[in-house]
Amino acid sequence: MSTLWRKAFRDFWRERARTVLVVLAIALGISAFAAVLSSYAILTRELDSDYLATNPASAVIRLDSIDDDLVKAILQNPEVSDAEPRRTIRGQIWSGQLQRNLVLFVVHDYGNIRVSKLLPQQGAWPPSLGEILIERDAFQVAKAKIGDAVTVKTANGVAQPLVVSGSVHDVGQAQARMENIVYGYINVATLVQLGEEPKFDELNILVAQNRFDESHIRRVVSDVEALIETRGHEVRRIDIPQPGKHPHSDLTGSLLLSMSSFGLFVLVLSGIIVINLLTAMMAAQVRQIGVMKAIGGTRRQIAGIYFGQALFLGIAAVVISLPLGIIGSRALCRYMAVFLNFDINSFAVPLWVYLLVALVGIAAPLIAAAYPVWRGTATPVRVALSNFGVGQTTFGASRFDRALTRMGSWSSSAVFSIRNSFRRRARLVLTVLTLAAAGLFFLSALNIRASLIHTFDRMFAAKRVELTRSLTKPEEIEKVDKSLTNSRFAYDQHMIMIYVFLIVMSVIIGGVGGLGLMTTMSLNVLERRREMGVMRAIGATPKTILLMIVAEGVVIGLLSWTIAAVLAWPVSKALGDQLVRAMFRSGLDFTFEPLGLLIWMVVSISLSAAASFLPAWKASRVTVREALAYE
Amino acid sequence: MISLHDVTKTYETPAGKFAALRSIDLEIQPGQFVGVVGKSGSGKSTLLNMVAGIDRPSSGMIAVAGTTIHQLPENKLAAWRGRNVGFVFQFFQLLPTLTAAENVTMPMDFSKTIPFRERRKRALALLERVGVGPHADKLPATLSGGEQQRVAIARALANDPPLVLADEPTGNLDSVTATAILDLFRDMANRGTTVVIATHEADIARVIDRRIEIADGAIRP
Repeated sequence: MSTLWRKAFRDFWRERARTVLVVLAIALGISAFAAVLSSYAILTRELDSDYLATNPASAVIRLDSIDDDLVKAILQNPEVSDAEPRRTIRGQIWSGQLQRNLVLFVVHDYGNIRVSKLLPQQGAWPPSLGEILIERDAFQVAKAKIGDAVTVKTANGVAQPLVVSGSVHDVGQAQARMENIVYGYINVATLVQLGEEPKFDELNILVAQNRFDESHIRRVVSDVEALIETRGHEVRRIDIPQPGKHPHSDLTGSLLLSMSSFGLFVLVLSGIIVINLLTAMMAAQVRQIGVMKAIGGTRRQIAGIYFGQALFLGIAAVVISLPLGIIGSRALCRYMAVFLNFDINSFAVPLWVYLLVALVGIAAPLIAAAYPVWRGTATPVRVALSNFGVGQTTFGASRFDRALTRMGSWSSSAVFSIRNSFRRRARLVLTVLTLAAAGLFFLSALNIRASLIHTFDRMFAAKRVELTRSLTKPEEIEKVDKSLTNSRFAYDQHMIMIYVFLIVMSVIIGGVGGLGLMTTMSLNVLERRREMGVMRAIGATPKTILLMIVAEGVVIGLLSWTIAAVLAWPVSKALGDQLVRAMFRSGLDFTFEPLGLLIWMVVSISLSAAASFLPAWKASRVTVREALAYE
Repeated sequence: MISLHDVTKTYETPAGKFAALRSIDLEIQPGQFVGVVGKSGSGKSTLLNMVAGIDRPSSGMIAVAGTTIHQLPENKLAAWRGRNVGFVFQFFQLLPTLTAAENVTMPMDFSKTIPFRERRKRALALLERVGVGPHADKLPATLSGGEQQRVAIARALANDPPLVLADEPTGNLDSVTATAILDLFRDMANRGTTVVIATHEADIARVIDRRIEIADGAIRP
C-alpha cells in the first residue's frame, strides 16, 4: 500500500471518534434509502406475484343475468380461456350492536374456482347454507371471530342470522380496514335465505393468450359483449383492470418510490456532514498539504488522499447500512403486507438494489467531498506552509460579527457561547439546515394532520347538510350519520400512513442532524482547543468549559428551531395542499398546530444539548498544558 | 545549477507593498554548499522559496537544474520539485500519521521514479545514513527534535535530487544536534549534491563552501 493510502487511513484513525460519527450519519441515510428501495423491489414483486397466483380475471362484465348456456357460448370463443359467473351484493352486517357496511360475494362453485381464486385461511370451506366466510382483513372491521353469529341484510332482502364459519384471503380486494368495509362470501342457497333472487350477474372473463396486453383484452371483451347482446342480455358495465397488476401495485410503488426520494434526501443531509468534516480536516491540514506539495505532490495526488478518505467513509457506511437496510426493509415489508393484506413468500432483494445502494452510498460522500477537497488542495505552497492553524481573522471582520459584540450586558460565558456559534459560518449554516429539515418534517406532519382533520370535518359537515336536507325522520338521519362516520373512519385510516411516514422521516433526519451537530461541535472544540487552554489558565473550571460548549450547541439548536418554525407554515401548507388536491380534488383548510412548535423546541434543545455533551465533556477533560500546546 | 536573474518579489500587505526581494542576480554551481545568511525578515526564506518553486517572482527569471521554473504551471512545478529538489524545514514538518520510513517513502510515491518494491528499502537505507535507522517504524511524535530533523533530511534525499534546500534547519535544535545536522549537509555536498541553507546563525562558516549575505531583500556584495 502506498504512503498516500496509509496517510488517508491513519488520519481517519487518528480522528476515529469523529470518523465513526460521520460514518454513522451516512449509514443512517443509506440505510433509509436501502430499506425503502429494497421494500419497493420486494413489495411490487410479491404483490403482483400473489395477485397473479389467483389467476385474476382479465375483465369483469356486469349484466342483467347469467345462465349456463350463455357461459357455454362464451367459452366457444377460442380467445376466451375461462368465464365464471359470480354475484356481488351490498348490504349491512351486525356483530352484536356493531353495524358495518358489507360487500357480499356469491360464488357459483366453491369447489371449482378457476378465476380470481379465493384462498381459504381458517375454518370451514366451502361455506354451507346459513354460513358466511369473512375476508381475513375484514375481521377487525366486523369485530367478529369464527363461530360468531352475525346478522346480515342485503339491500332488497331481509335481515337473517348467519354463522361466521371461516376466513378467506381475497388478494384482489382493496383492504377492508382502509375501506372500513366487511367482505363476506356465501353460497347460492344462503343468498336465497337472505331473500335475494338466486341469480348471477357478474362474469369473470379470462383471455386465452396475451393476458398482459390490455388492447388484446379489450378486443376479446368487445367480441364477448357483442355475443352477450346478440343473445338478448343487457351489458351494464365492463371493468378491465390493469393486466397483471394488483389494483394497489402502482399506488404502493409510487408511495415507496416517493419514500425512496426522502431516503435520498436524508443521504444528501448526511453528505452535508461529510462536507463539514472534510472542510475542517482540510483546514487543519493546510500545512501538511503545503509540505506534501513541497516534496513533490501534485494537487491531483494530494486530492486523491482526501478523496480516498471520502471513499473509505462511503464503503464503511455501505457495509454498515446494507444489513441495517435489509432489516429495515423486512420490517417495512411486513408492515406494508399487513397493511395491504397480502403475503410475502420471499424477502430476496434483487441484485440491482444492492448495486444501486452501493453506488449511491459510495458516490454521495465523494460528491460531498469534491468542493472542500478541491478548495483545500488549491492553497499555494507558500501560503500553506505559513498557515498557523485556526485563523484569528475568522471572527470580527463582518458587520454581523460586530453587531454580536453589542451584547455586552450578558454574562461573558453566554456571550462567548453565542459568538462562538457564529465563528464557522458555513459549517453553522449546513448544520442548522440539517436540524431545521428534521424540524420541518416534524412540524409539517403535525400541521398536515391538524389541517386534514379540519378539512375532513368541513367536508363531512357539508355532506351531512346536503344528505339530510330533505330528511325528516330521526332514524333516516341516524342512518346517514352512521354511513358518514364509516366513511370518515376510512378517510382517517388512509391518512395515518402519511402522518407516520412524516414522523418517521423527522426522527431519521433528527438522528442525522444530531450526529451532524455532534461532528460540528467536536470540530469546533478541536479547533479552539488552545483558546480553551487559555480560559482554563485564567480561571475557567472544567464545568464552565463544558457548560459553555453545551450552550453553544443549544444556540445552534435554537437557530434551527427558529428556521423550522418560520418555514413550517408555508412548507406544510404547500405539502398539505398538494396532498389534498391529489387525493380529493379539494382545497385544504390549513390549520397551524402551535403545540408542535413547543414540542419541537423541547426536542431541539434536548437533541442539541445531548449532541454537544460528549465533545464538551472531552474538551473539559483536556489539561491546560495539553490545550495550550495544541497547534 | 541555480541561476536567478533580476528577481524581485513584492507582497501586497494591509500596510502597503512590501519588497521581500530586490533585483537578485545569483549563480550557484553544482555540488556547492551555500549558506544564505541574514536576519529574520531579510528575505532568506523568500529566496529559498523562489529557488524551490514554492513561490513565484513578481519579475525576473529563475532557472534550476536546467529548467526555467518560474514559467511552469503549479502541477508541473510540484512534479519537477519532487524529482529535483529536496526541502528541509525549520520545524521538520513530518506528517504526523506516517512513520519515519513512510515519511521518507512519500516523495518516492509522489514521483514514482523508484520502483514500488524498492522504496521502503531505500527509505531504510537513507534513515540509516542519517543515523535514525532504528527509529524507522516510529511515529514522529515519539522522536526527539534532532531525530525528526534527520528523518526530514532523509526525506529530502528520497528521490536523490541534485539540489537540497534547507530553511533554518538547525533553528529549532540544540547546538550539539545542530552541529551533527550541519555535518550531514556537508556530507551530502561532498557526494555531489548542491546544498543551499538559509540561516541566521553565523557559525556555519566551517561547513559551507560559499556564504551569501542578504539584507532587506538584496544580496550584499
